[in-house]
Amino acid sequence: MSLEFSLTGKAGNLTIQAGGHLPASGVTVLFGSSGTGKSTLLKMLAGLYPCTGTIRFADQLWQDEPEGALLPVWQRPLGMLMQQPALFRHLSVRGNLDYVQRRRGKAEDLDGIIAATRIEPLLGRSVQQLSGGEAQRVALARALASQPELLLLDEPLSAVDLPHRESLLDMILAVSRTVPILYVTHSMDELLMLADQVWLMEQGQLIAQGPVAQALASLTGPLAQRSDATSLLSGDCGDYDPADHLQTVTVGQTSLLVPSAQIRARGASVRLRIAARDVSLCRQPPQQSSILNILPVTVDEVSPLGAGQHLVRLSLQSQVLLARLSSRSVRELNIVAGEAVFAQVKAVALV
Amino acid sequence: MVTGLQMLSSADWLALWVSVQLSLVTVILLLLICTPLAWWLARRQWPGQSLVEASLALPLVLPPSVLGFYLLLMLGPNGPGGWFAQLAGWRSLAFSFPGLVIGSLVYSLPFVLQPLKNAFATLDNNQLAMASVCGASPRDRFFSLVLPQARLGYLSAAMLGFAHTLGEFGVVLMIGGSLPGETRVASVALYEHVEAGDYSNAHRLAAVLLVMSLVMLWGLFRWQRRRDAGSWL
Repeated sequence: MSLEFSLTGKAGNLTIQAGGHLPASGVTVLFGSSGTGKSTLLKMLAGLYPCTGTIRFADQLWQDEPEGALLPVWQRPLGMLMQQPALFRHLSVRGNLDYVQRRRGKAEDLDGIIAATRIEPLLGRSVQQLSGGEAQRVALARALASQPELLLLDEPLSAVDLPHRESLLDMILAVSRTVPILYVTHSMDELLMLADQVWLMEQGQLIAQGPVAQALASLTGPLAQRSDATSLLSGDCGDYDPADHLQTVTVGQTSLLVPSAQIRARGASVRLRIAARDVSLCRQPPQQSSILNILPVTVDEVSPLGAGQHLVRLSLQSQVLLARLSSRSVRELNIVAGEAVFAQVKAVALV
Repeated sequence: MVTGLQMLSSADWLALWVSVQLSLVTVILLLLICTPLAWWLARRQWPGQSLVEASLALPLVLPPSVLGFYLLLMLGPNGPGGWFAQLAGWRSLAFSFPGLVIGSLVYSLPFVLQPLKNAFATLDNNQLAMASVCGASPRDRFFSLVLPQARLGYLSAAMLGFAHTLGEFGVVLMIGGSLPGETRVASVALYEHVEAGDYSNAHRLAAVLLVMSLVMLWGLFRWQRRRDAGSWL
């Protein structure tokens, strides 16, 4: 465990009461709708917001209040990225990096960070001349320049225009291979792209913590109840058909054809996302269907969603696939747990 | 032809020098006093802050003679200032340079406090937080972030405090006593010239004070304008 905490604090009318363990690697997404206290919890963990309780990071005690032990923010080995880049406006881009470098003084690889965040051409500029995406890249570089042992990211994409989000996400993913990340967002897309673990927050409380696939697949959990409920499957890349732009991905013994603009290395692990509303079921494999992916699955659990909808959890080679069906179809096809059926997947994408 | 030095009598030069010394000492002390005070007023929420602010702003609206009268009582032999002066072996703080400094501190405080308060209020909390995360202690943050970003506030505070102390009259008349080289400041010297009917010396001294004040304020406003145009230097 890298970070372990149990905290209580107040944010306006909301009481935040949360405890948990952050894995020592990968991205943990702190997910919840606006106003549930996610950002405040992040600030509490950083030491930027008053709260009582304990925070332990590796073998360091960061906070043990009200006992008195409190490691101040500026001595905690963390990096942070907020919704706003919050660059020091009286300094140049280079000056912002030097500010950290001088205080933490550990990053020998500043050039590597500058290259990875692609801010080389911006170094001489005033931070007031940067676009939202550029500024956030500089802020990421600044956070990395402190050689953090933990990165706290608070909706870092919200001030970045759409076309630049993906490259920033890729940079964050690359960083997550070496530094554990706690990432606050209310965007399902960002969760699907980044999360290894998910912490669900509601009304100031952490209501669930676990691997992302499990959090998505819990029928009674808040993620499955959403209209954009989605399953994540992990698989390995096979052949690529450049004429039709189709990548073969094997999930266990089953193969799927996934649209992809670029070829990937054979054997590379990938994640597939399949929205529950893009999955339908049939008892017999259909003949001459336009649907490319028809998968043999077993029904695990059937759960009513209300408003004429049912959510069905299917198992595919020990992984989970969700299907959102009309209650009438569930009744007429008599879909019950334990049955073998075929899932027609209308859309699947590489994460 | 009248050269710069001949323009004023040596007594007037001395009075001007006392004024400049008084203004300098006052401004330096006020910048030190007002930095924590302005920080507390701008960035903390305490009950009673408005009353504190109102008291500190009183010199803006009170007739200087009222202020001078109370200061005279405070600094005189029977006031706390007199008691304090006796410790140092003086009879009283009134009619002394230290007494003038104390009076000027009170009189010019709002002119230094206000620009600093405005400068601190507009600091960005996120940048302050990020400075902490980047490893800066509060003291380090003050010098590396607050001071450079509040530069304009400090410049305005210094200029206004200096110019306002230079133009002080009512208060020094009450507590000064016009001792040459000690408490006879330029504004009082000017008053005495007029009283004595010496209009030619009064003209010269008035012109010097006018030009000095104008140049300082002009410099300040020019600088503000350039900063508003977006440059951080």
